[in-house]
Amino acid sequence: MKFKINRDHFTSGLQQVLNVVGTRATMPILSNVLINAEDGHITLTTTNLDLGIRCQIRSEVTEKGTITLPVRKLATIVRDLPSLDVEVETYSNQQAKISSGTSTFRIMGISADEFPPLPTFADQHSFMLRQDELERMLKSVSYAQSSDETRYIMNGVYFNFEDEKLTLAATDGRRLAVMSKELEVTEENAGSLILPAKTVSEVERLLGQGETVRIAFNDRQVAFEISSATDSDDKGLMDNIYLVSKVVEGKYPNYRQVIPKENDQHLKVNRESFLSCVRRAALVTTDKNHAIKVHVHDNTLEITGESSEFGNSNVTLLVEYNGPGVTVAFNPNYIIEPLKALTRDEVIFEFKDELSPGVIRTPDSFLCVIMPLRLT
Amino acid sequence: MPRIVQLPDHVANQIAAGEVVERPVAVVKELVENSLDAGASRIEIEFRQGGKRLIRVTDNGGGMDPEDAVACLERHATSKISSADDLNHIASFGFRGEALPSIASVSDFLLRSRPPEAEVGTEVRVTRGRRSQPQACGMSPGTHIEVARLFNTVPARRKFLKTDRTEAAHITHLCRLLAVAHPEVAFTLIENGRQVFRSPECANLRERVQEIYGQRLGQELLELKPAEESHAGGTYRVWGLLGEPGVGRATRADMLAYVNRRPVDSRVLQYALIEAYHSYLPSGRYPVAYLFIDVPPMTVDVNVHPAKREVRFREEEFLRRFIMEAVLEQLRHATRQTLKRAERVEDFTPAPEAENEEAEDGAEAPEAAPTVQPAPAPRTVLPKAAQPTERPGTAPAPSRERSRSAARATPPPPVQKAAPARSQAVETPARRETPAPAPQARPTPPTHPQPKAPASSEPAPSRLAWRLLGIVQERYAWLETREGVVCLNLRAAQERVTYERIEASEREAEQASQTLLFPLSLELSPLEADTVERHRDFWPSLGFTFEPFGKHFYRISSIPSWFEPEAAVDYLHDLIGLVREQGSRSFKADDARDSALRLAVRRIARISPLPNEAEVLPLAESLLRCRQPLTSPDWRPTFFEVRKSEIDQRLGL
Repeated sequence: MKFKINRDHFTSGLQQVLNVVGTRATMPILSNVLINAEDGHITLTTTNLDLGIRCQIRSEVTEKGTITLPVRKLATIVRDLPSLDVEVETYSNQQAKISSGTSTFRIMGISADEFPPLPTFADQHSFMLRQDELERMLKSVSYAQSSDETRYIMNGVYFNFEDEKLTLAATDGRRLAVMSKELEVTEENAGSLILPAKTVSEVERLLGQGETVRIAFNDRQVAFEISSATDSDDKGLMDNIYLVSKVVEGKYPNYRQVIPKENDQHLKVNRESFLSCVRRAALVTTDKNHAIKVHVHDNTLEITGESSEFGNSNVTLLVEYNGPGVTVAFNPNYIIEPLKALTRDEVIFEFKDELSPGVIRTPDSFLCVIMPLRLT
Repeated sequence: MPRIVQLPDHVANQIAAGEVVERPVAVVKELVENSLDAGASRIEIEFRQGGKRLIRVTDNGGGMDPEDAVACLERHATSKISSADDLNHIASFGFRGEALPSIASVSDFLLRSRPPEAEVGTEVRVTRGRRSQPQACGMSPGTHIEVARLFNTVPARRKFLKTDRTEAAHITHLCRLLAVAHPEVAFTLIENGRQVFRSPECANLRERVQEIYGQRLGQELLELKPAEESHAGGTYRVWGLLGEPGVGRATRADMLAYVNRRPVDSRVLQYALIEAYHSYLPSGRYPVAYLFIDVPPMTVDVNVHPAKREVRFREEEFLRRFIMEAVLEQLRHATRQTLKRAERVEDFTPAPEAENEEAEDGAEAPEAAPTVQPAPAPRTVLPKAAQPTERPGTAPAPSRERSRSAARATPPPPVQKAAPARSQAVETPARRETPAPAPQARPTPPTHPQPKAPASSEPAPSRLAWRLLGIVQERYAWLETREGVVCLNLRAAQERVTYERIEASEREAEQASQTLLFPLSLELSPLEADTVERHRDFWPSLGFTFEPFGKHFYRISSIPSWFEPEAAVDYLHDLIGLVREQGSRSFKADDARDSALRLAVRRIARISPLPNEAEVLPLAESLLRCRQPLTSPDWRPTFFEVRKSEIDQRLGL
């Protein structure tokens, strides 16, 4: 195997696949990247058996072949090479020579035969989406995923393709974020999956490089084909970045039934000011006592925080409201996080009484249900 | 013929001996206490075969003239009290006047005594209850008593004695106790001609403890500074030595208490100690303590037990509180001391003080500089230079504390000037760690080339003066401190921080309970369900609300806000189990909560990842802000420190 490649292209390619590799892989081969030199490009592949990524980079290949090299070390070496022109050549004893300018490295690799192939599967369902849309949807809900590994079902984002729309949902049992968008869904193509948290963050990272993304999945696996733009800033990426991952197997909790239907009070509020008010009020709370109270009365939204350690805070915001006075306590983070993730200027805040959940909504079919804190 | 007769004296004495002289150690106790009462400054105790064969006590105390030497062998004859009223003011160890005649009645007894002003001593022998005529004998001032063939007249008692070794152990233990109580008296203990210990007159309690119980223990103990309080017309005083927080024993054997210098077994005192150590020791472990209490003689009744091992206090409640407060104060202080070392120098030398210090440093410079300049080896520079500049605020405590605070102090600028800059291989890292306010307050003279100087004037990014060296085996972090290196057990530290966070949240006036989107289900055994029902009010106070949802089946609708939902169910199970166990006894909500909390913390720790390198310092910081940072909630140490001096020593530097 022998190829010439632009250093920055090589670096950006390695960056795409690097994150998958764990720091303590049980199999040494899993810390390596599979390099496959073909006509006019090389393919880089990494996997941790749960999640694998593949991308293609332009390159001048003079001799086809494959090798695997330790990806983290390789990435540091390539990034620090002195010249933009990099030449890589392999020898029969699984060594790779990397030369650039006056520097030469010989890196020990492992035979490509040992590299576990990315799973291939028959797509049962397949959808095409715009990358920016999926990115926005993921960001709007992903913060609500559970990090408690004992509730593995909630350690991910739920994708539901049904009723002519795609709905994304995430919850950790205390709040729930849901966002949906219109999408053509045929009856046989309908289906759902739970995308594991680690994959969610990888997908979020990779999205936004091009126009479209294709999602294909069955009961066990999901694949994302993320198109990369070749015209804008040239990273040397070719074709699609291909990401394949296991899905969380199990039945996602029925989130629809916990969306309150009787929240009769609501008010419109500017997202930014709501966010900054909650933040400010939460400044005096400690992580020991993470609670703020939201009082709503007579065109006023009043947010207070209190802790025995620091004292208290009181922040008010003028709103249009003339319903009955209501006070509800929340964990401020559960309000801050959705407000931060949203982009709309205005949100609707719904509530009923101090024991009922609060809801943040936007007109573009986003909603976040936040369970209140009961103060005793 | 009357059936009731007055017993002859020697029979009465033998009966009394049964109470007072239970076993050889009692003889030793009586004799040594007599010596102490006689104002001796040197006491030598010798015994053979566990004291059965021979007990010999020699002192250099007041001695007795010939009349007293005879009189002291009469029953209820004593120089220590003269009226019943005196019993309320007993300031001596003995007072009953029973000991000598009792001992003499059950052994071959020899008494020799000479007051310092007399020219010769008096010798009296008692054999088989018969007293010899006093004779003159030659001896140095003091009293010498030999008790041979103990219990030779009461074979029954002899049979009840344990092996020589056991009896010897009792005697040794007692002599140690007494020796510790009287550091000002020189003690020698000889068993079968072999010296067990010899301790010259000691300046203080710590020295004596080191002499008797070993250097190491002596050094590890904290000093309980004397505390005094007046109560009900008398003055109470407490002082002594205490084990460090976290250092405990499996038994109460090392909890020694002295009342008016008399070793006693007192429930009141033991509980006061155990309670004071409550949050500093795992439950089931007992503190190490040499606790001395002086109480007004009339408030303590030592006339409860023939051997005076037990005492009663009139002001038990007060005494308990008084001791607890004194001990707690010391323990808190000790914890603070340990923590102080972790603080940044700026924290305890605020800017305004820098001016004063400059003056002080200047004044001390002549003293410090000569020490430094001729020093050939660079490594000696830091400690010597640092010592004279202890901060006025850091109260130089004795011995151990001193070495800590000395190394903590910033090397004074004058010394920096005097010292050749480049040769200070060791000093350089120390300076980087202790970014003194000095560079900001007054610029370092440019003539003084100090490569590290710019670095030291940069504000430290962290509040701690610790620097992370690395994480080892993903579990331990090594950090460089001003005095050496610290190994931090990440898990234990995390647990401690979580524990105190939760504990604090439970103390907040308003407790937050997080309601759940999806109720959790809780299935219980019939017994557990019964427990749940019986303590209905307890659960909401913890932040749990649940309602029945079928037989022995509950739906949890809200949980404590600090918890992850799934872990909360396990926690609740544990809690119910603990409450059930306690249910038979009086139900103590706090205990159940505390032990359950520990379990909860373990659980949380198990599912939360260990900190990475960036998170270690923040973790260490929050750890050091904890009330009890030295151990995890289940009493594993959170960190230990290896001093520079120890490293030097090990490397033979």
